[in-house]
Amino acid sequence: MNISTELRQIGVIARLELRRAFLSKRSFWVYLLALFPAVIFFGHAIEVKVRHDRWSRQGAVQPAVIDRLNRGMTYNEVIKAAGAPIRDFEWERRRDEEEPVRMRHVLLFDGRRRSDLTFRNDLLETVRTRPLASLDEDRQIFAGVFQFFFLRVAVFFGCLGIFLNLFRGEMLDKTLHFWLLAPARREVLLLGKYLSGLVASSLIFVLGTVLCFAGLLWANDPAEVQQYMNTAAGHELFRYLLATVLGCIGYGSVFLAAGLLVRNPIVPIVIVLFWEGIIGFLPQMLQKLSVLYYLQSVCPVAAPVEEGTPALVRLLLSPAAPSSVWVAVLGLLGLTALVLYAAARVVRKIEIDYATD
Amino acid sequence: MTAPEIIFDDVSKFYGDVLGVNRVSLHIPPGITSLVGPNGSGKTTLMNLMAGIIRPDRGTLTLRGISPDHPQQLMRIVGYATQYDAAPRGMTGLEFVSMALLLHGFSQAEATRRAWAALDRVSLTDAANRKVGAYSKGMRQRARLAQALAHGPDVLVLDEPLNGLDPLVRAETIAAFREYAAQGRHVILSSHVLQEVDVFSDQVILIANGAIMAEGQIRSVREEMHEHPSQFILHCRDAARVASLLIGDAHVNEVKILDDGAGLLVMTRRRDDLAAALSRIAIAGIEIDAVLPADENVDALYEYLIGGGR
Repeated sequence: MNISTELRQIGVIARLELRRAFLSKRSFWVYLLALFPAVIFFGHAIEVKVRHDRWSRQGAVQPAVIDRLNRGMTYNEVIKAAGAPIRDFEWERRRDEEEPVRMRHVLLFDGRRRSDLTFRNDLLETVRTRPLASLDEDRQIFAGVFQFFFLRVAVFFGCLGIFLNLFRGEMLDKTLHFWLLAPARREVLLLGKYLSGLVASSLIFVLGTVLCFAGLLWANDPAEVQQYMNTAAGHELFRYLLATVLGCIGYGSVFLAAGLLVRNPIVPIVIVLFWEGIIGFLPQMLQKLSVLYYLQSVCPVAAPVEEGTPALVRLLLSPAAPSSVWVAVLGLLGLTALVLYAAARVVRKIEIDYATD
Repeated sequence: MTAPEIIFDDVSKFYGDVLGVNRVSLHIPPGITSLVGPNGSGKTTLMNLMAGIIRPDRGTLTLRGISPDHPQQLMRIVGYATQYDAAPRGMTGLEFVSMALLLHGFSQAEATRRAWAALDRVSLTDAANRKVGAYSKGMRQRARLAQALAHGPDVLVLDEPLNGLDPLVRAETIAAFREYAAQGRHVILSSHVLQEVDVFSDQVILIANGAIMAEGQIRSVREEMHEHPSQFILHCRDAARVASLLIGDAHVNEVKILDDGAGLLVMTRRRDDLAAALSRIAIAGIEIDAVLPADENVDALYEYLIGGGR
């Protein structure tokens, strides 16, 4: 049997499996996982847009007014310069035997920035001015969501749902014989099924990543976004998409192999989750046997870790990673090839065992 | 040149501690071969071994010279209608058959054409576009049969293929098996409908507890059972006299005069000795009109072998 026939068989198997990967009931929660972060980012963008419109209608001040605000100004001076504020809230603070203090919070908006003013006994005490939406801040949040939720939870469990069922699901449905009776080498069957899972998971999670990124851009100031688009946006989006696809490639191979070896899905979940969690504590050599180890390097923005976070937790959140992106890509592909080779050895010996006579 | 055979050489298969088949050696020539045995006897295990979806723990087997270790070659010459009822989710009957053909390398158009032809052969064209999951048991049986037949294999392996078929389709299916076998191909099937197997099989393999009890043509299998008494009906005018001449012979176990008095039933352990005795009777001038085997069918063997003898 020549290579072109086998490639064609891989294509046929992948095509047959794709429909199931996309449309089966088991995949619906994968869509939920993939699209959940996008819901958060679009929710944030909508909130920003609504605030911007509402506050603009209520009366935006000139940016220069906000820039001229100084500590010690009286409430009346501020109101005289800025006009009616967006929000004006007064309260009294009492502490022990001291005289009560009159506190006041005033919110101003200049069309782009919000300024939160705090008055103490009618004298301006603090001024906190920041953009309504900050692209830099949102990029940091995106990096955190992408690394801590998208890669470690959504792609991880999504690939588990898709790839683990490629063989195990057939066993449960008692339909594996349909594939084993095809005139194809078992390795061809394995690759066809892997390809279908890879295409399905990549498309679903790439869509999730793109939607998140769109939500990130939509929330921010168009001029700032335009500048970002002209500089780093393309590169960062490419790296996020690369990390997404590599995550599917890596986790996909691991869960495909796991589906061939075990019946109970809890076992591979616990083992892989544990392994991926502790790689920061492992020797360098063993770290290379982790998917997350490689994905760290591909992400373009370091995930934020708050100052004062204990070193142990810091190590868990951001374990060591190879410095070069291409070393990471080649390393992950090498790891995947190794896992698929092991899976091919298993699939060659796989037997139908859901009924015997 | 010898006919291509299916060869089992000392094959054993265990499911953990449970015996599947034990030390099976077989040479199955082309034609219709029926595997007969009770549930759990190892019929499906033998068939699954032939199709390579389980592997022997011991021994080797080849189908027309091809080992099940090479499914890419084997499944081009084998069509297997399993007993497993399920089809991949969401597939219609037409897809169930045509998708398998695509994996054989047929073009989409050719696969569709062959799928329709195969479905037509099992009278399933009306339901071709319905999902297999919504089929009745009999329809699913026919769909599996169509899939096994569609690529024109040299070896058809059919697990209980006649279950759930209505009489008309059953007759057509049996005719198709005969046609297949007449072309020098193998048709291996298992069945609990023993009378049907008896009628159209070229050879039978009797299996119980994972071991082959007998194999070959029904007549030759019967002859292997020396210790099992053969039954013959003798049609003659003077049944009482023939009975009195036979009853004293050592090889005769039992003689019964038929109710109508027009003959007798003789049970013997040695056919040759009975033949010699009948010759002597004929020479003595006692007329015997006919000698007919009374139990030369699979049922009798089955009862004897599987049921522990009589």
